[in-house]
Amino acid sequence: MKVIALIAALMTGALLIYGTEEMPDWGDPNSPASSHVSPKYIQEATEKTATPNIVTAVLADYRSYDTMGEVVVVFTAGIGCILMLRKKRKGEGD
Amino acid sequence: MLEYIISKYNFWIYVILMMIGLYAMMGKRNFVKKLIGMNIFQSAIILFFVSTGVKAGATVPILSGHGHGHGHELIEVAKYINPLPHVLMLTAIVVSIATTGVALAVLILIYRRYNTLEEDEILKIRKDTGV
Amino acid sequence: MAEQFAALVIVVPLIASLFVPLIGWWKKELCYPWVVAVLVVPLISSLGVLNTVMTTGKFSYRLGGWAPPWGIEYMLDHLSAFVLVIVSFISLIVAIYAKKSVEDELPEKTVPFYTLFLLLVTGLLGIVITGDVFNLFVFLEISALSCYALIAIGEEGAPIAAFNYIIIGTIGACFYLLGVGYLYIATGSLNMADLANILPDLYHSKVILIAFAFFTVGVAVKAGLFPLHVWLPDAYCTAPSAVSALIAPLMTKVAAYVMIRVMFTVFQPHFSVDIVPVFAILGWLAVFAIFFGGIKALAQTDLKRMLVYIVVAEVGYIVIGVSVANRMGLTGAVLHIMNDAVMMACLFLVVGAIFYKTGTRDIHQLRYLNKKMPFTMAAFTITALSMVGIPPACGFFSKWYLILGSIEAGQWVWAATLLCSSLINAVLFFRVIECAYFKPMEPAYAHDGGTHEEIQRDEAPLTMLVPIVIMAAGVILLGLFSGNIISSVIQFAVPASF
Repeated sequence: MKVIALIAALMTGALLIYGTEEMPDWGDPNSPASSHVSPKYIQEATEKTATPNIVTAVLADYRSYDTMGEVVVVFTAGIGCILMLRKKRKGEGD
Repeated sequence: MLEYIISKYNFWIYVILMMIGLYAMMGKRNFVKKLIGMNIFQSAIILFFVSTGVKAGATVPILSGHGHGHGHELIEVAKYINPLPHVLMLTAIVVSIATTGVALAVLILIYRRYNTLEEDEILKIRKDTGV
Repeated sequence: MAEQFAALVIVVPLIASLFVPLIGWWKKELCYPWVVAVLVVPLISSLGVLNTVMTTGKFSYRLGGWAPPWGIEYMLDHLSAFVLVIVSFISLIVAIYAKKSVEDELPEKTVPFYTLFLLLVTGLLGIVITGDVFNLFVFLEISALSCYALIAIGEEGAPIAAFNYIIIGTIGACFYLLGVGYLYIATGSLNMADLANILPDLYHSKVILIAFAFFTVGVAVKAGLFPLHVWLPDAYCTAPSAVSALIAPLMTKVAAYVMIRVMFTVFQPHFSVDIVPVFAILGWLAVFAIFFGGIKALAQTDLKRMLVYIVVAEVGYIVIGVSVANRMGLTGAVLHIMNDAVMMACLFLVVGAIFYKTGTRDIHQLRYLNKKMPFTMAAFTITALSMVGIPPACGFFSKWYLILGSIEAGQWVWAATLLCSSLINAVLFFRVIECAYFKPMEPAYAHDGGTHEEIQRDEAPLTMLVPIVIMAAGVILLGLFSGNIISSVIQFAVPASF
């Protein structure tokens, strides 16, 4: 089992390294990630949302639907823990 | 070769972290160690995403002074790092915490039933009781 | 107005789930009617969405009004509207069914159960409707987290099955997220439609290749495709009846939907077929899945465990349909998403009802069940015939298209596998039906004068029986109307380039 795990981990790592070969260098300001969608956030966010912190503006406005999902994830986890752990507290043991 | 590694060293670091996490998730026989492996894996991904947002010589994406009124002056994009990966990772961090929470709750259930978190011992108990 | 339907699909069950704990705190009994009433809304709105898509074509819904690559949008085309209807319909039926089963199996946990039930449905609907690859991850996690918790409260061994599911499911979700990250690095976008525009120029980039590989592995883990299915049997089998009836038909199908979405919308068919040899691999894995699932199912005496292995095999069907990558095959795959969801829901509902009434799921103890529970067993028989592929039932038609697709693609082994699996299914289900209908009386019974007349009819309660009968009727009706469904919806859901 451990050998399989080791091989799987190494293969995954090798694949990921293989993929990085054609990636833009670290910190390159002209990489696609920094030049396609995000410039508009930096240019417009403050004007449109009146928020100086752009991360906040994107989090709570442009992509607020993700943030709602994030809140729901926490709610789900909380209810899940209640579902799993609550009953036993009343009468110990099953 | 060294040049190549240095120019993308952020990826190498995250790949190594990710391999450690993946190995722990699959290879370890203790449930808590598996869970820690899961956290390492998720942290590796978070590092990876955040490192993609970096621009050399740029600063945090908070615009002081560009408030109301004078929004027409063009903001120099290269001066601020990419905010989007940070936003995505704020969500991913919360998701990973929630997953860890649920997993810990499941571990409590397992511990209550078998009094151990070693996979081998649990398999032995289940074999002995014939389930 | 029609556009607002799209918003209601997610928002109503989401907000309603927040109210379930409050309602349960006030009056526990009100949770059930509340959940059933709430789940009617996504069904109506997704039917509205489907209607709009059929009359005016595909549209998108901008959340918060932000334009697509910057904000998040819903992507509503024939495929997503079709799967939305399936998901919302089956979740409504299972919700109606859940009442007695939950009271029996989880008497003190009804309130959090219904909350998580709604959240799970919300997550599944969200996966289907969204047009943003990262948003899909968020909803994937909502559905997965609620699924982990719901599985963990099942019978003996459930927490361990749930923990294994958490570990493997998280690997799947993280691989998906890595795929998103690599796509983002190469393109700078997260919107599916935008990605589909940018990607063709980058098809020969290694980054895209790796992104595609990680998407595929991540989704295959979630779908339980053959070598990655190890979490599935235990998790689905040990979960409470109502939970298995919801996740067994829906989770794997929604993952299959994501697979179709990623391979044919985000990436163009041209890439998935010509540049990467992914379909050859997936198709052969699916062949193994079908044989493995069928043979493992033959070895089981627990009815539910048998069905769970059939789920593994059924995933193979859909993947074969995707892998042949022609119009026939993909039509079969999309049709099979619907048919299999309905058939699996019906079978799991029946098993839950049998377990509720008799307390056992052992095939050999089903004797005289046709006398005790005639309607339930009739529904089971109809669905079993459909699984085997007897014509008027729906299972025949999707299999027909899948086989035609495989032959068209020249994959004779795949077509033969599909035929073989019909035989395996025939053996599997005939074994159960034989036990329930024709098993000769044991001498001990005969001496006691135990005759057929003395066996009391002991049918499942109405809240269970009605959903079962609806699903069984659905199996027949969907078969009769599958021509209409294909001509009015599915043929538009298949990419035009085929």
